[in-house]
Amino acid sequence: MSSSFREALESGKFVVTAEAGPPKGTDISTLLHDLDLLKGRVDAINVTDNQSAVMRICSLAICKIVLDKGMEPILQMTCRDRNRIGLQSDLLGADVLGIKNVLCMTGDHVLAGDHKGAKPVYDVESVQLLKVVDGLNNGKDMSGNELKGATHFFQGAVVTPEATPPEPQMLKFQKKVAAGARFFQTQAIYDIDKFKEFMVFARKFPVKVLAGLVILKSAGMANFLNANVPGIRVPQELIDEIRGAEKGKALETGMNIAARHIRRLKEEKICDGVHIMAIGMEDKVPVIMEKAGLL
Amino acid sequence: MIITKKKDRKKLLESTGRYNRFFLLGCSECATLCGTGGQEQIDELKKELEESGKTVTGGFVAKTGCQALGTKVELKQFKEALDNTDCVIVMSCGAGTQSAVEIFPEKAVYPSNDSLFLGNMTRLQMFDERCSLCGECVLDLTGGVCPVTACPKGILNGPCGGTKDGHCEISAEIPCAWVRIYDRMNKLGRLEEFGQTTLAAKDWSASIKPRKLNVREQKDKKSGGEEKKK
Repeated sequence: MSSSFREALESGKFVVTAEAGPPKGTDISTLLHDLDLLKGRVDAINVTDNQSAVMRICSLAICKIVLDKGMEPILQMTCRDRNRIGLQSDLLGADVLGIKNVLCMTGDHVLAGDHKGAKPVYDVESVQLLKVVDGLNNGKDMSGNELKGATHFFQGAVVTPEATPPEPQMLKFQKKVAAGARFFQTQAIYDIDKFKEFMVFARKFPVKVLAGLVILKSAGMANFLNANVPGIRVPQELIDEIRGAEKGKALETGMNIAARHIRRLKEEKICDGVHIMAIGMEDKVPVIMEKAGLL
Repeated sequence: MIITKKKDRKKLLESTGRYNRFFLLGCSECATLCGTGGQEQIDELKKELEESGKTVTGGFVAKTGCQALGTKVELKQFKEALDNTDCVIVMSCGAGTQSAVEIFPEKAVYPSNDSLFLGNMTRLQMFDERCSLCGECVLDLTGGVCPVTACPKGILNGPCGGTKDGHCEISAEIPCAWVRIYDRMNKLGRLEEFGQTTLAAKDWSASIKPRKLNVREQKDKKSGGEEKKK
């Protein structure tokens, strides 16, 4: 059976994926509750891999739980914590568990996380990992050994349209396409006009692009993102819009902004879908989708 | 050169506490430039040891501390002082310390420095790491800027998403290696190459420890092989 996420993208449908961050600890009750809310509404659940280098439940285990719920998981794989043997072994394992989508990235540095003394691995990086996945899909491991049974992944990568300077980032995007990336998920974008310019470039390549959206909870959060997260730039007018909201309505305004952006991305056919990173507010995703006219 | 930093002095005095007669061995190369193993530092440590009631039998700045044979010859002039020494403190890098272990198989040898990295002196007493000794140089493909060393993730195919105003996500003080490479390749008119070449994952077997190189042996084998052919 092939990836339903892939089929949705290839059918030309405006696709929605939601991010699920595995918890730190074995209590997954909130995660299960969020998955129930998202079931039947989003096309896939993108499960992060120790995001921000903070140690949590592994992406693979949560992807299996997503599958057991009858939903479609996207396995995020970073190169920070495993060498080429570990990565390939986990990819083979993911395939036999029925996971069909993998998102390849290099991964935040250990210094960003909660185990700063850990040894960063980076035996391979995102472009090379995409090649590894392509190889496994073609029945060969990284050393060229024949596999008894190939994998069946639909592989994607990430891109930061707002990286400064943009030129080296765009060349890397091209390398990822050449290495086999079939879909891209972007870092959070807030400036749709600027994103349109990126899409003019991205549309030259045979890949699907999901715009990354992070829900703004407050003006403070927007300022924090601008100051601390490379590649994210929240325009001042959006910050003013949230600041100007009635007391207690900041989050609602943030959700309205996200819904407005989704609506525009879809109506103007700017990209192929959105990836909503709710960061702890997964229960708000269906509300935003409804506001955007997707439900 | 090998960049070294002085170990905490209190800890050094503690760890060598069981010995009483010390010989201090510096190095005229990297350690002198780093201010960790020149004559000045020898005099300084001598004073500290003497202040804590120890005897310093002598001190010497070796020409090249990592060259054990040469250092051994240089040290012959200090035979009497060394015979009267129970601990040699080496004020260079880890390699220099191990030269001394080789020269003095029966004596205690302690390092006064921590060896940090292979780098360049950018200004007086300021050092930057430049080479990871990975065993498989890629500088020919990256415009002469080393991504294995200058990128904290050692990425070989372009910047990660963490570049901000040309700097690294880890610290605004680190210029992004791949922005530097891009700029260099641009200036050299090699941008096309930058976009089209995907560097394969490195063969880390080239840096499995302990590494050894014997150029002499290779030459001998080669000529030996030719002789056999004849």
